[in-house]
Amino acid sequence: MNLFEKIFSYQLASRLEETATYTLTSQERAWLKMMLEQPAAAHALDLQTLHKIGDCLLEEEIPQLQQALTEKAGSAAGQTYSPLLRPLRLIMRRRQSMEIRRLNKHGQLILSQYGVPWKLEFSMARREWYLLWYNMRTRAAMTTRLVHIQSITEIPLPPDQYEPICQRMQDICSVERQEAVIQLLPMYNMELTRILHAFSCFDKRVEFVEQEQTYYIYLNFAGNESEYVLNRLRFLGKRVRVIEGDHLKRRMHDTATRALARYGQNADRHDID
Amino acid sequence: MAKESFDKEIQFLRLLALTGGNYDRQQFAGRLGISVHTFDKTIRRLKEVNGDADFADLFRYNYADTAEPVLLFLYRAKSMKESESRRLPIILTALKQEPMTAAALLDVCDEQLIDSAAAPPDEKTIRSDLRYLEEIGVIRREPSGRPYRYRLNNDLTDCLTREELIELYEFVDIMANTQIPSVQGYLLRDNLKKAIKATVSESPDDSWQEEWLEPFSYRYHYDARILDEAHLYTLLRLIREHRFISFQYYSPSRKRSYTAQNTNPLFSRDNEPRRQHMLPLRVVYDHQYGRWYLLGTTPGGRIVKYRMDGIVDITAEQEIDARLCEQYAAKLDEHTRYSWLVDTGRTVTVRARFFKPAPPQNDFIQERVRMQGQWGQIVEEDAHSFIYEIKVNGYTEIRPWLRSFGSSCEVLEPAALRESLIEEWKELMNDYESF
Repeated sequence: MNLFEKIFSYQLASRLEETATYTLTSQERAWLKMMLEQPAAAHALDLQTLHKIGDCLLEEEIPQLQQALTEKAGSAAGQTYSPLLRPLRLIMRRRQSMEIRRLNKHGQLILSQYGVPWKLEFSMARREWYLLWYNMRTRAAMTTRLVHIQSITEIPLPPDQYEPICQRMQDICSVERQEAVIQLLPMYNMELTRILHAFSCFDKRVEFVEQEQTYYIYLNFAGNESEYVLNRLRFLGKRVRVIEGDHLKRRMHDTATRALARYGQNADRHDID
Repeated sequence: MAKESFDKEIQFLRLLALTGGNYDRQQFAGRLGISVHTFDKTIRRLKEVNGDADFADLFRYNYADTAEPVLLFLYRAKSMKESESRRLPIILTALKQEPMTAAALLDVCDEQLIDSAAAPPDEKTIRSDLRYLEEIGVIRREPSGRPYRYRLNNDLTDCLTREELIELYEFVDIMANTQIPSVQGYLLRDNLKKAIKATVSESPDDSWQEEWLEPFSYRYHYDARILDEAHLYTLLRLIREHRFISFQYYSPSRKRSYTAQNTNPLFSRDNEPRRQHMLPLRVVYDHQYGRWYLLGTTPGGRIVKYRMDGIVDITAEQEIDARLCEQYAAKLDEHTRYSWLVDTGRTVTVRARFFKPAPPQNDFIQERVRMQGQWGQIVEEDAHSFIYEIKVNGYTEIRPWLRSFGSSCEVLEPAALRESLIEEWKELMNDYESF
């Protein structure tokens, strides 16, 4: 398989676009055939659709990757697909609201609530799907793990209500961006790419100050992502130091103090929770 | 197809993606090991294929808001002759209407290219175009005899209703974003998008929304991972062919312990690293960082490991006996059985106590340990904590993961790991002492 086939080139694609022509290569079909082998496919597509697609892919050969290609340090039990994705997408496409029965984050059952599904989000870190939705009664933005949803029923929504709710969700979710400045300690400069890889899922810019031979990473992230930023900071340990961002600094100090207390060191200053 | 080298572009795009594009030209050029002049040329070329978009802006998007893979344009950067980029669309568009013979296509090209500066193609050219398109599966020959008629091979999308196309599109979107390899998935996703748009024009009363084309968002994505797929298929093919390979290796960090000792690049006077010579056997994708590794053996049978992002200019070398190759692979598999990632060091048992969050919170710590702890086992559990045990080759690679749990994890064994974590937490506490 050659990913650099000329059929994929921009020059060609932009000309084809003018006549609304598109092409499908064997390698794309072979990739699809490989993905259809995954259990997720059975939930994602109707049996009839699966048969139709399968018939078109009879001649393609599945690339033999299994033996030579391994994924490490991933999440074993993580879901890729949830059977709830389809019904939720359908409600979203029809711009309707829903009745939702779900568990809260402590695992307790919450009885029926009304809301508008807004976005479906997958966390690569947790390998888990989330529904972002608008709670009609409390007028709050909600984030619910799909595994916590017991049932969803479509409820009609007056057409003029959908847009304002989406706008409101957009507003709620786009406030509260934070910036933190993270310094890479110069003695670890040769690990730069490793550290940047660890932060590569965030909006950021990197500055190198020649005189100090020091890299500064300016991270920009949503307020509700600070837990994950902390996770990455702990992951990297002493290679990096937060130099701006009081919340992160305080939390890192807390973590270090409590961790030391676990090891029976300096347990005098904070209670362990 | 001739092998096209995108090595420089890949390195540049990776640097850009990782740093957010904030270096100046000099810094970029310096880090890439090329002159500022060459750097400017690379930029010009990439801008041409990317419609002059500002590169820095490309990476200033909200990661959670879009599933468009920004780095995909690397795979669209293949340059073509102007005449070819005019001729192929004419052929493909004609075949979309109806099946045609090479002679008929020649007429169509003659007719449509009459005003163009380039000379109209001859039959030989058309035949070679058709051969290429058939080879990559874009068109197919009709079963009737000579003269052969060809048609566009879009059966996959043609046989589906609009609803089914949308469902397929969303399935492909999920798989391309969550599975490896994914580049073909992204390419297919783009084409399905076009297919969906095409069905809309046929049913004007449909209230199709553009935003449906971004059905899901994906958080904490490693974009740069798709750059290394450029080498993936070459390497997998060479693994299958039991071939030695050689390449230049730019070690991403000189102090890495993953690469075996005397494979570190020795920079000669012209700044070119010494070529590495190895038998490739396995490719490992590291989910924690979104990075790829190539594992194999030296001609002497010693296990070697390379980060794929440091590999440049791969050349196929001699083939070896399949049985010998299998022996090497079996040996490598045995040595990496307990590798958290790719470490083949001495096997140790790591024991750690994890603390459960106070009720009513659900035990998200245990959930995470079960999901990410690979083959490790929970061997003891009480109301407040549990003990997790895993056999690993060296503890360097598992260490960051254990540390990421903060004070919810206490390493019990081995003692050296325990001590080193205590030291590190002390250093960290000092760093943040003012709080």
